[in-house]
Amino acid sequence: MIEAKQLSKKFGRFQAVKNASFTINKGDIVGFLGPNGAGKTTTLRMLTGYLPPTSGTAVIAGHDVLKDPMGARKCLGYLPEHVPLYDEQRVTEYLKFRARLKGIPSKEIWNNVARVLEICDLEPVRRKMIRTLSKGYRQRVGLADALLGKPDILILDEPTNGLDPNQIRQMRERIKALTVDHTIILSTHILSEVEMMCNKVVIIDQGVIKAADTPENLTSNLRAAGKIAIEFKGDLDKVVEQFNELEHVKKVIHDSTTEDGWHFLTIRAEAGTDTRERLIEILTGLNCKVRHIHRHIPTLEEVFVEMTRKD
Amino acid sequence: MSAIYTIFKKEIRSFFLTPYGWVILAFVLALQGLSLSATLKIFQTAPQQEGILFFIVHSQMFWFYFLFIFPLITMRSLAEEEKTGTLESLLTAPVKTWQVVMGKYLAAYAFFIVLWLPLLLYPFVGDMANWYVEANYNYDPGMMLSYRFADWFGTLSIIFLMGAWFTALGIFASSLTGSQIIAGITTIGLLVFIFFLGLVPILWGEFPASAIFHYLSCTENLDKFSSGLVDSRPFVLYISMTVLTLAVTVRTIDYRRWKH
Repeated sequence: MIEAKQLSKKFGRFQAVKNASFTINKGDIVGFLGPNGAGKTTTLRMLTGYLPPTSGTAVIAGHDVLKDPMGARKCLGYLPEHVPLYDEQRVTEYLKFRARLKGIPSKEIWNNVARVLEICDLEPVRRKMIRTLSKGYRQRVGLADALLGKPDILILDEPTNGLDPNQIRQMRERIKALTVDHTIILSTHILSEVEMMCNKVVIIDQGVIKAADTPENLTSNLRAAGKIAIEFKGDLDKVVEQFNELEHVKKVIHDSTTEDGWHFLTIRAEAGTDTRERLIEILTGLNCKVRHIHRHIPTLEEVFVEMTRKD
Repeated sequence: MSAIYTIFKKEIRSFFLTPYGWVILAFVLALQGLSLSATLKIFQTAPQQEGILFFIVHSQMFWFYFLFIFPLITMRSLAEEEKTGTLESLLTAPVKTWQVVMGKYLAAYAFFIVLWLPLLLYPFVGDMANWYVEANYNYDPGMMLSYRFADWFGTLSIIFLMGAWFTALGIFASSLTGSQIIAGITTIGLLVFIFFLGLVPILWGEFPASAIFHYLSCTENLDKFSSGLVDSRPFVLYISMTVLTLAVTVRTIDYRRWKH
């Protein structure tokens, strides 16, 4: 559906995006992650055809954004980051204007506007001036605009930016409901959002794509994925010695010991392995008492931090 | 075509549905009214060879308010879109840049034409004054009916021709910046510069190349046209400059987008 090949963008000497390549299939819901200023918005703008890439190409539903920009734009619904709207227009007036701009035949304009008003719950404010709307409503008007004409692809740049927790939840549900007949790309830096909604994650930092994969694959390949914490009572030296002999174990760290003899260990095993059973076997073999064993479940947040850390 | 019409309609609505357009309309009407009253004073004192519209466009404040119309009607058009970011949503819809520029230009130009429609009425006001003067002072001030068509046609066509180019310049200045104020100042600067180009032969005297300044002179063209002498050269000048300016505007918008 979307194919970016070696997309690069330079602003003067500053390289905002470097050789970004990724593929997005039909029906995907892709989370675009990255710290502020990483090049998310620039990449999305290149996909929409607003900014032409310095080099590289992007193909949207078979239309090259440089050679056939009108074809590409017709398949896109775009919600820009700051939701630009005409303040002096009313909600339906604005949506009708946008529908006409998008070339929707005049007979279908009213149906289209009514549909997006319904999806985005804008019925109560349809006759209000956009100037008087709250941030949450503005965001919904922007989303309604992106949905006009049922585009195959939705590009949403920080759709939950600046909303309160309830509104964020509503927006998330609305976007989830849209996955049925849209391919969605959304950029954000709220990681839980991506974990809940997306089946694919693209992490970008300093203009470079660091990872593009499913959230499950990303977390299971993380360094932190092999961390196991154990609390036990018994012969510390023998336990550490035998743990070190296991093949997947990389490092055994003794964190502390309580006054009544409980030892706290952290074990670094290789990512994607589970050695808990064997650890317990060793401990019971040495007649140790175990009160806690826990394999760390990594979150996308850790993936993000690890990928975008400056050191 | 329909994209141009959509943008045109939206712009025209924003002129007439906000106080902004009405303020400009009131400002221009008031100054036209002053010009008209000054004109009637002229006819009151002695019979004149030229028609009433000639004197309206030759009143002392004419150039002052004529040139100020353009920054007022054009400074918002593209600068505001850029400042509020709506240019981004406009140019990611399936609309070409030239369609946006044409829509904005035609709307500003249409509003400009509306501002000058009262000129059609003033000769009738002149008739009434004629009648009044004749009845009360017993002489004919000489605002002759036979003169009226050339008078109307010449005056309106030169105003609309200059307006076409100057509006295009305003749209161009508006595409250069995200600030309305800077766009407005740039427009008035460009217009004053063009106006003074026509005064070069007057300030420096005649010299071999001065024909070009006569050709460009707004005041000379206005003199000729408003006394009923319609010349084809200004048509070529103003229409070709309009097209050129609009083409440069389209390029400027694309260039600024590529750069940023």
